[in-house]
Amino acid sequence: MTTFKDKLPPISQLGPFIALVAACIVFGLTTDNFFSGANFALILQQVMVVGVIAIGQTLVILTAGIDLSCGMVMALGSIVMTKFAVDLGMPAPLAILCGIAVTAGFGLINGLLVTRIKLPPFIVTLGTMNIAFAITQLYSSAQTVSGVPSLMTWLGGTFDIGHTPISFGTILMIALYLGCWFWLRETASGRHVYAVGNNPEATRLVGIPTDRVLLGVYVLAGLFYGIASLLLVARTEVGDPNAGQTENLDAITAVVLGGTSLFGGRGVVLGSLVGAIVVGVLRNGLTLMGVSSVYQVLITGILVIIAVTVDQLSRKGAR
Amino acid sequence: MSTSSSSSSSSYVMQAKGLVKRYGQVTALDGADFELRAGEILAVIGDNGAGKSSLIKALSGATIPDEGEILLDGRPVSFRSPIEARHAGIECCYQDLAVAPAMTIAENLFLGRELRRPGFAGNVLRMLDKKKMLETAIARMADLKVGIRSMTQAVETLSGGQRQCVAVARAAAFAEHVVILDEPTAALGVKEGNMVLELIRRVRDKGLPVILISHNMPHVFEIADRIHVARLGRRAAVLDPKKISMSDTVAVMTGAMPPERIPAECLAC
Repeated sequence: MTTFKDKLPPISQLGPFIALVAACIVFGLTTDNFFSGANFALILQQVMVVGVIAIGQTLVILTAGIDLSCGMVMALGSIVMTKFAVDLGMPAPLAILCGIAVTAGFGLINGLLVTRIKLPPFIVTLGTMNIAFAITQLYSSAQTVSGVPSLMTWLGGTFDIGHTPISFGTILMIALYLGCWFWLRETASGRHVYAVGNNPEATRLVGIPTDRVLLGVYVLAGLFYGIASLLLVARTEVGDPNAGQTENLDAITAVVLGGTSLFGGRGVVLGSLVGAIVVGVLRNGLTLMGVSSVYQVLITGILVIIAVTVDQLSRKGAR
Repeated sequence: MSTSSSSSSSSYVMQAKGLVKRYGQVTALDGADFELRAGEILAVIGDNGAGKSSLIKALSGATIPDEGEILLDGRPVSFRSPIEARHAGIECCYQDLAVAPAMTIAENLFLGRELRRPGFAGNVLRMLDKKKMLETAIARMADLKVGIRSMTQAVETLSGGQRQCVAVARAAAFAEHVVILDEPTAALGVKEGNMVLELIRRVRDKGLPVILISHNMPHVFEIADRIHVARLGRRAAVLDPKKISMSDTVAVMTGAMPPERIPAECLAC
């Protein structure tokens, strides 16, 4: 019944793999130690924060929204959990929960403004991005929080597979991706996320509470940013008030590179993982080549535009 | 209620008596009556502001009338939401292609009423029963003779007429009592419009009564068994399309021909 062409994923979903393979070939040829288990493990470790933020960002973008606040909210979460533990002497698990509660709270605020007052997600999250940044700076007095309890950095620890050190955080990231992928693909509530992004009016008319779906997505996104906060603390072993600034754009880049349409309703969350790895590979490879970080930002910017162009053109082709 | 009125009302699948709906100073429905018989296609026509869409909204649960009553199979019902109407067996297909384009036909058919797998997978993991939904979709669409090759293709790969057929078939596949179609042939070409009309006929022939809201007079005359003309928030007349001309129908609709001047043989009994 279905032809081969029906089964072939659209170019927007193959794009990230092509980009990944191309980047690996280039860096493999131009640098000495790009192709090594240790380097790939390092790349995964470097992308775990952006990777987990990108899960939340994917959910929001699937509903035809965008969350510009993701990186800043993540930074605030990491400041809250480290300061609560270090300054207030709160037990680490409780402090972690408080940090995640703050990021989920920001998700709730974003979601309420989008669903109740019907504000465009772009403007809402532009606002909360700045609010989260300001609170982070004020609360931390722009000081790095150090001496965090060891329980908070546990996810940064590694175990060996062969001679390659794999971090627990990487495993957590992959588990979260698989869980989210399953939810979006196999359950009714997951399919409703796609339906809301696809045609909100039609979705509402068949009796699905679209506002509740949207609100849930923003809160869930906030939860993922909270988990990303913990991963950031685990990786850097401090609470950094200036974190989140590159992660913000990198997460959106990862999602778009991963083939999720900015117009909503199309995409696969696992693509965002590939997208995040592409961004990680680029940063890693360019660093190995000795290219300065400004050029890395430049290339990321160009990549986003290429990815969105591919998305737009392939959508036109589908009509 | 006298026994004679209750026995006459039970011959209608759906009936409304004296519906009133006010929006502030505006009276959208001003004592509107409505009757739908078993196995018929009833067209509802009316100028803008005649109370046509308010009537349909009241029947489909999208608005709650201020006064009046609605009977389904002779029993009074009051819907507080479209979902309640749906549970009562009334399916509505709204204007402008109410489908999710990037999702498959099967997914669209089951949107909002997905089936879960039995046992652990369905109850705990809340997994969808995609296989059963696909099989049901194929069976229901074959039942309505909608000639679409694959239920797993995205709706956006279909033509406008095919998409509308999916939307109509979705309503028809799950309705137990009544199918309400709001402008199903608007924005379609001649050939595609005919395709949808054919489908609507098949829905009726399966025994489901259809309420068809349309501005397209040729389509109304081609397919309707009776024509309900809404005017000034009331029912102006119920016409027999085999007896009355299209221009007289428009005259009734606009008020150029008052109801009392309609020739008696043109009224549908």
